[in-house]
Amino acid sequence: MPIFDSIGIAGSGATTYRKWLDAVSDNIANMNDAVSTSSAAFRARYVIAQPANDGHGVQVGGIALGSANGRVVYDPQNPLADAQGNVRMPDIDLGDQMGQLMMAQRGYQANLSVVDRAKDAYQAALQLGRNA
Amino acid sequence: MTIVPIGAVTAAPKIAPASAATGASGGGDFASALAGGLDKLQQMQTNSDNMAVKAATGSLTDVHDYMIASTEASLATQLTVAVRNKAVEAFNDIMRMQA
Repeated sequence: MPIFDSIGIAGSGATTYRKWLDAVSDNIANMNDAVSTSSAAFRARYVIAQPANDGHGVQVGGIALGSANGRVVYDPQNPLADAQGNVRMPDIDLGDQMGQLMMAQRGYQANLSVVDRAKDAYQAALQLGRNA
Repeated sequence: MTIVPIGAVTAAPKIAPASAATGASGGGDFASALAGGLDKLQQMQTNSDNMAVKAATGSLTDVHDYMIASTEASLATQLTVAVRNKAVEAFNDIMRMQA
């Protein structure tokens, strides 16, 4: 996108924040997955953002995974509980995820604002000399 | 009952560069720049059309990608029209010259 660079760059930012939103929704959806203590807990997803390879904007370099140990919770009523009455839960804090959710949402909106402002700026440039 | 998928919107045929203008000395640069600009505009509109088809068929992963592509196509069209209007205006000014 050689003519409208800033619009393309803001678009890459919006795509990155959309992936962050996806990661947060995955974490919240799996927040209460209980497993037996002998298996691994759900691992939280973290988006790795980095500058784009072509030098224009940002890209997602990969997904980092949280701890597989999780938390061991005493819940003897759970059918998955071991002899001591423990199950393994993912180590995901809802408050932390909600904070990330807000940051991802606001970041997405900020990038779309950049697209809007850049469009207005280009249209103002096209008005140059219109009435001359 | 099967639903027939919507066919892709075919882009308008490519406008051939004005070959007559290249004959005049110094006219080749502007004509080739104009043809290059039109090619780029057509590319953006094809991209926007493809995104529209994806949005209609449900295979669009990013909503903003379509809106950005259509915004870019619209801006490029406005730019091309502005350049064309200026060129026609200049041509008319020259035609009105009196000896």
